Amino acid sequence: MDVGRLAGDVIAFIGSQIGASSLRLGPLPTLALLAVLLILLSLVARPSTRWMVRDLGRLAAVGRIMAVAAEAGGEAAFSLGTAGVARAASAHERLQTLAALPILAHAARAAARAGVPLRVTSNDIVAVQLAEAALVEAHRATDTEERRYRSHATYEGEGRPASAGLAMAEPSTPAAAFADGGLAEESLLLLDGVAGGAVWTSFGTASASQISSAQLIGEGTLIGPELYQAPSDLRGGSHLRTGVLAANRLLAIAAAVIVLGSLLTLAGFDLAAALAGR
Amino acid sequence: MRRTLPTALVAVLGLVLLLDFVVINPTLATLSDVLLELVVLLAAAAAVAGGIALVVHHVAELAQRRTDPLGSLVLLAGFAVILVAGLYPGSAGTSDPVVRWLVAGILGPLVASLFAMLVVFLLRATGRGLQLRPRQAGLMVAAAFVVIVLLLPLGGQLGSWLASAAGFAMAVPIAGVFRGLLIGVAVVTAVQAARILVAVDGGDD
Repeated sequence: MDVGRLAGDVIAFIGSQIGASSLRLGPLPTLALLAVLLILLSLVARPSTRWMVRDLGRLAAVGRIMAVAAEAGGEAAFSLGTAGVARAASAHERLQTLAALPILAHAARAAARAGVPLRVTSNDIVAVQLAEAALVEAHRATDTEERRYRSHATYEGEGRPASAGLAMAEPSTPAAAFADGGLAEESLLLLDGVAGGAVWTSFGTASASQISSAQLIGEGTLIGPELYQAPSDLRGGSHLRTGVLAANRLLAIAAAVIVLGSLLTLAGFDLAAALAGR
Repeated sequence: MRRTLPTALVAVLGLVLLLDFVVINPTLATLSDVLLELVVLLAAAAAVAGGIALVVHHVAELAQRRTDPLGSLVLLAGFAVILVAGLYPGSAGTSDPVVRWLVAGILGPLVASLFAMLVVFLLRATGRGLQLRPRQAGLMVAAAFVVIVLLLPLGGQLGSWLASAAGFAMAVPIAGVFRGLLIGVAVVTAVQAARILVAVDGGDD
């Protein structure tokens, strides 16, 4: 085999492909697009919430509520909304299902640790497979694989009314109820059915027209962008949260010093000279 | 390895589709077309697998007489009726008159009756909301009351004033809130997409 010739062919192929290409949006818009991607990737590199630490959707209480559910012998219910992953819904709606998966993973780990059966429902078979994977991973991560088959992900069938109807017809009362993902006109019925008299609820959606349903029925709510922010908050341990809080205070103090210094300078006080002892 | 392969696949496929969005290249366009066709095929296969999983689940429920055997029986019977109507010899599939009748005569009214309960459930949810967080829910109810008053079908001077106020409310404050919300959601959606692309999200607590 002639390695030199192979390398030459590869370079010639790449050259011919570049020669056969042109920028779809022109140089400036392409650069702008790449700049936006760079900014996004920098956000990705620091996924923890920077400016504030909140208990989004009351998810910090999931561990405690699962322990309470275990004592009462109850189960937990989790609905992944009605948009699914491979259904004929808009990309914006379907991405909410993916955003809900880390929240499901968090709830599944808490349920696995406490020994609470978790019932996950979705009207999309791909979402159900992802939920099954999350359940398996949760039991593997918590060394509770013997309890794996007490939790399950169930496909409800096609259509949004199917999800709402089955949620309303569910006979059992969960101790904790979650519903996160894309919702549509059936949201009130679905959320009411999933809640079904649960002691504790946490609902989240970024579907703008259905936010009021989550706010009316859910105790903890993830509204709009919060559905996407919550997984970042869940990632940090308590020491990371403390670090973020401490950094926030330092930033606030630094900002106050800058503002005060600017005001003093504007008032004609030579702050630099005073600090230098001149 | 268990996580590396899917992560690498997602990253490579995502970058190919992204590159096709930015660059015009015949080879790249063909490649991304093939990938998109594979996604459509995957969705179709998933739909069939979903149907089979649903039947298996409810047959097992029925065999073990677990939570709701009657519900499982109704579901399986409905499944069988629709399948027979769409697949009998000489059937026109989804456009067959029997399938159309089943959808228009049974499924349609069922869905309509389900959605007709929304008013009742809205009132119930309002009551629950007022119990859970009185201040926010009270504000929401007050805003809803104002909107209802603005949309009252009244005539005369008062009616035209209400109509213009309703138009202003829809075009300025309500549209502003929706726009702000959608911009916020769009930004975090882009961040989420980037995080999925580089496989940042995952359980680690």
